[in-house]
Amino acid sequence: MGDWLSEVANWWFAAVALAMGYAAYRVVTSANVVHAVLALVATLGGSAVLFLLLGAEFVVWTVVLVYIGAVIVLFLFGIMITRAPLGYEAELDHPPKTKALAAIVAGAMFLLIGWTLVDAFGTEEVTASVTTVGDIGLQLFGRFVLPFEVVSLVLLAALIGGIVLARQDPVDIEDQR
Amino acid sequence: MSVTPGWYMILAAVLFAIGASGILLRRNALVMFMSIELMLNAVNLTFVAAGRQLGTLEGQVSVVFVMVVAAAEVVVGLAIIVAVFRKRATASVDELSELRG
Amino acid sequence: MSALFDYHALAPELILAFTVMAVLAVDLMPVPKYYAAVTGLVGLFASIIPLLTLALCSELSFCSDNGARLLFGDSYVVDTFSLVLKGLFLVSAFISLLLAVGYVESDRYYQGEYYFLLLASVFGAVVMASSRDLISIFVGLELVSGPAFLLAGWRKGDARSNEAALKFFIVGVLSAAILLFGMSLIYGVTGELTFSGIRAATVGGELPAVFTLGVLFVLMGFAFKVSAVPFHFWTPDTYEGAPTPVTAYLSVGSKAAGFVGLLVICYSAFANMRDIWGPALWIIAVASMTLGNLIAVRQTNVIRLLGYSSIAQGGFMLAPFAVASMVEGVELEGALFATVTYLLFYAFMNLGAFGVVMAGMSKVKSAELSSWSGMAQYAPGLSMLVVIFFFALAGVPPLAGWFAKLVMFQAIISGAPNVWAVLLGVIAAVNAVVAFFYYAKVVKTVWMDSVPVEIPAAELGGSGLNPALALALGITAIATIVTGLFPGVLSFFGEATRTFASGF
Repeated sequence: MGDWLSEVANWWFAAVALAMGYAAYRVVTSANVVHAVLALVATLGGSAVLFLLLGAEFVVWTVVLVYIGAVIVLFLFGIMITRAPLGYEAELDHPPKTKALAAIVAGAMFLLIGWTLVDAFGTEEVTASVTTVGDIGLQLFGRFVLPFEVVSLVLLAALIGGIVLARQDPVDIEDQR
Repeated sequence: MSVTPGWYMILAAVLFAIGASGILLRRNALVMFMSIELMLNAVNLTFVAAGRQLGTLEGQVSVVFVMVVAAAEVVVGLAIIVAVFRKRATASVDELSELRG
Repeated sequence: MSALFDYHALAPELILAFTVMAVLAVDLMPVPKYYAAVTGLVGLFASIIPLLTLALCSELSFCSDNGARLLFGDSYVVDTFSLVLKGLFLVSAFISLLLAVGYVESDRYYQGEYYFLLLASVFGAVVMASSRDLISIFVGLELVSGPAFLLAGWRKGDARSNEAALKFFIVGVLSAAILLFGMSLIYGVTGELTFSGIRAATVGGELPAVFTLGVLFVLMGFAFKVSAVPFHFWTPDTYEGAPTPVTAYLSVGSKAAGFVGLLVICYSAFANMRDIWGPALWIIAVASMTLGNLIAVRQTNVIRLLGYSSIAQGGFMLAPFAVASMVEGVELEGALFATVTYLLFYAFMNLGAFGVVMAGMSKVKSAELSSWSGMAQYAPGLSMLVVIFFFALAGVPPLAGWFAKLVMFQAIISGAPNVWAVLLGVIAAVNAVVAFFYYAKVVKTVWMDSVPVEIPAAELGGSGLNPALALALGITAIATIVTGLFPGVLSFFGEATRTFASGF
């Protein structure tokens, strides 16, 4: 244990991991939707730091740009458009029975996954170098070029379908008058 | 001795379990969706940690795909939530009771 | 390889991708909106042609036949298995599109976008059929389901359609997250993303428990997609709330895509893990057929009845998987053959059944069974189609369904000495009998009961069928009858996929 404490990176990991765990807990328990989104930002930011510790620089910046930059903003827009109540929300408060059930399910799932993970990955040490964007680009446009093209169609379909579903039809506006 | 990828995976398991409990606990479609984002984040962490452990790049490449698809799903999900809201002015899943189910 | 890519192998995908874009472009032009649908139909037809040239490669002079074509570092494989399933997807998309044309024209819908999303979803299914690595198959699956979520909510003004889309979406994304977590665990253990790599890494040797967990998570993710019990709860609501042609597509195209994913992953990546997925799918198959049938018996709405019936039919398709852990060699191939063949027959019957529901709803404006009673008196032709499709689904010879059930039972019996296989066979047999009752109930209501008094006589018989719907009904009805009399026509394609179980 003494060795463990002597390395700065370990301290980083412990601090970030604890903060992430707490933030994730707040995402699912906060009665205020906006607080939940902010807690999600904290969780994602924490994961960005961890990716940095793991030497995955490209992933770090994608998380920051795509997730924290775009996805969270979309969530906030969603809250604004649906006018979700900003204060305490009674509908989000479940009876203790549901809470206990959720806690038990989460605990059991964690124990199961955690135990099997420790069993499999134990405490093997690894030393890996930082990967560069160039390495990932070569992979993306080599072996993974087909899913890369397919994913562009996923985005296009989501875009077009999303516009159709979310836009207000002219006829709807007339109906309201 | 330093933190091994195994530790990152344990953290991922924590996030995944919390996200799953969020699905059970919450009734607001937006918050349920955020819980799913937590689970996807756990997936990303596992992929990168596993890639580090194995010394291959494929883990990180997978994360790129997971994130792009997640972004597309956010667009789809919010469009559906907006459509639901326009009709019924609620984001609560429980109040949707048009269909017996 | 001389060219950078094997363009011949990728031709169906390329033509389909071009068609998807062309539909969008035609939608923008100042021409009638149904031109977009025609473009889609022509494109689907055109992308079937390279499937044929690939399948008949050894006969053609310009084609160099080297067996299965491996692309992108073994992560994309074009073999007979994938060709047959691509054919299934394209043909069922063709019929789904025909079903949709009249429907989306009749009301305020975004037609061009509808066809675009439908074809994009089909494109995802076609990619899935060839995908042989975790990432490709995941991306393909998301392309199948993403547009499907949106299409389920296409009737924006209808609260039931909104609700259908939201339920489908939450469950779909949750299943994707579970599937991905399983994939990340598998990648962590084996260090491989390609199925051939995973298969090689799992030969013999002790695997950590976390790998089993990964396999179970992946199965769970696909079980949602094929709406197998206990992951089925979204199905009846989504089927009832979504526009009916979308429901038809969900119950055939999207479901078949889930099954193809399950087939590919189980029989290739997890080929050495049959002891894990066999028993797991045994439980899921038994639960699906039993629960699906028991609840279907009580339904009074034809669409919900078909929803539960499709859960039960999914159970029948999963049954051969359960036997796969008990048999080897030819019988293992038989298990794969049974699932694929069932899927091929089911596609035509179920699309036809939904076509009949759409035609019926255009006559009586309701999918409640009570308002369908006595339909034979004013719509004998349609009532005849009800008989054909519902009895085919029940498995009454000489209509298509009997052969699908026969090969399923053959596959189950091949594991016979094993107690679990026998038990599965008994449960499946009981279920087939239960299923007959509710399919027969629909036929009885239509033919034997009297016309409900509250429907004004003037409204009955009303409008003729939309030509596109009539064409779709014609194709599926002929297919159901012909393949019932000569099952070899379709089972030939099932036979072609056999080697997938043992090949590599």
